[in-house]
Amino acid sequence: MAQSATKPERVRLTAGRKELRELVQTCEAIRDRKFNPFFLDIGLAVETLRKYFPFWDNLDDNCLDAETINRLAEVLGLQKSQLRYLSSALYTNPEMLEKKFRALSIRRLGEIFLGSWHPIVEREQLTVDGIQEGLRYWGQMLSYEERRKRLALGRPVQPAVADLDLLAKSGILTREEFAKNLEKLWEELRTRAGERRSVDYWSFIRGGSYQDTVRRAYYVSFLLTYGFARMLREGKSLKLSSIDTPTGRTGAGAVSYPIAILRKNVNPT
Amino acid sequence: MKTVMAGQATEESKPETRFYSDKLKHAIHLLLFRRGKMPGAKEWELKARLGKNYKEIIKQLDTLLGEFDLEVKRVEPERSPTRQVSEGTIAGAEDDARYLVTLKGTLTPKEARLSGWRIDNLAALTIAIAYVVTKQGKAPREEVEKLLADKVGRWKTLTLLDTFVRNGYLKEDEAGSFTLGWRTKSEVNLRDLMTLLSETGG
Repeated sequence: MAQSATKPERVRLTAGRKELRELVQTCEAIRDRKFNPFFLDIGLAVETLRKYFPFWDNLDDNCLDAETINRLAEVLGLQKSQLRYLSSALYTNPEMLEKKFRALSIRRLGEIFLGSWHPIVEREQLTVDGIQEGLRYWGQMLSYEERRKRLALGRPVQPAVADLDLLAKSGILTREEFAKNLEKLWEELRTRAGERRSVDYWSFIRGGSYQDTVRRAYYVSFLLTYGFARMLREGKSLKLSSIDTPTGRTGAGAVSYPIAILRKNVNPT
Repeated sequence: MKTVMAGQATEESKPETRFYSDKLKHAIHLLLFRRGKMPGAKEWELKARLGKNYKEIIKQLDTLLGEFDLEVKRVEPERSPTRQVSEGTIAGAEDDARYLVTLKGTLTPKEARLSGWRIDNLAALTIAIAYVVTKQGKAPREEVEKLLADKVGRWKTLTLLDTFVRNGYLKEDEAGSFTLGWRTKSEVNLRDLMTLLSETGG
């Protein structure tokens, strides 16, 4: 047939191959959910196959024809599933859903998931398989540099020395040393306690601001732990007294006693 | 649990009860202790370890677990919806179906937080799963990424999607499309999810 094919027939053969390849590509795009399955008119596609079938003259052409039929069958299957899906309770318009995602709060979306989630109950344990999987994951993971490139975060900041000024500015360290602060507060406690030997805990820790109050309470906790001070309950109030000869270690039978410092309870002086 | 399972009689008076109690214990061990990559136990495994009356044992276990807001769920291997044992669908089971113990009810946000789930991660999971469902079970990665990035940010989106794939909530094919993973099929009631989403006002 190839030898006897006239020029118009050869033109049709080329056009037919092109059309079939386009059909296959469209079917593949539909399979990958890039288009709606009904985007393709199956009747028209079959008509195209029928039109060019008499011109196929070699094995490749017939294979292309068979592949096209195969892909069309897939699309037909997807059309069937879509019809079934549209008639099911799971159907929601994708555009409407996207709008809903934008409108709903993170919390509400999380609650929706919780309303339909029945998690598996299982006892996990570390196994040899688990360790091997972890190692594989670690081995295959891209380097930090590569991951930064993927996220397009720009050039990373180079490591630099952080001096005391920077740490103090960041609130990580105070300029005064911790021990000095403790000693200063202990002296203050001794002075304020005076002859009565004790002072009200809340009045002692109260500072100029809430942050200052928390800081003082934090240091007092160390005075108590290291045996520089003692805390006693007197009725409804808590009393703090200093110890003149500190042992430097926690006394026997000491208990941990958390005290919440609420803003409403601490009015700065 | 021991009292409940062997509670009807003492060991000496009714040896059958004792035998049955052992089987129940064995079954719960098989279902709760993870031995491979997946939790739960395959049907052939239960048959081999518990004997020919394994279906009855699983049914009884399901009844017992019901008191603790748990249930035994049977998940069919491919493209099959999850079915409840209590619905009487255990007959005609295939050997490669998997049995799992799941929560019967649902968790409150506080309970979910306590078990390590952040509410924003759950929100992201809602978006990812619901979007794949609206796309009839398969959605291109770029589309899911774009949707999630609008809500939780680009950096977090990439991390979360990888986590969802690793945990089995989503499955990614070579073409870069997402489908629903085994864990979603086992844990999430898709009908409830889509209904809740439709009912909630934007």
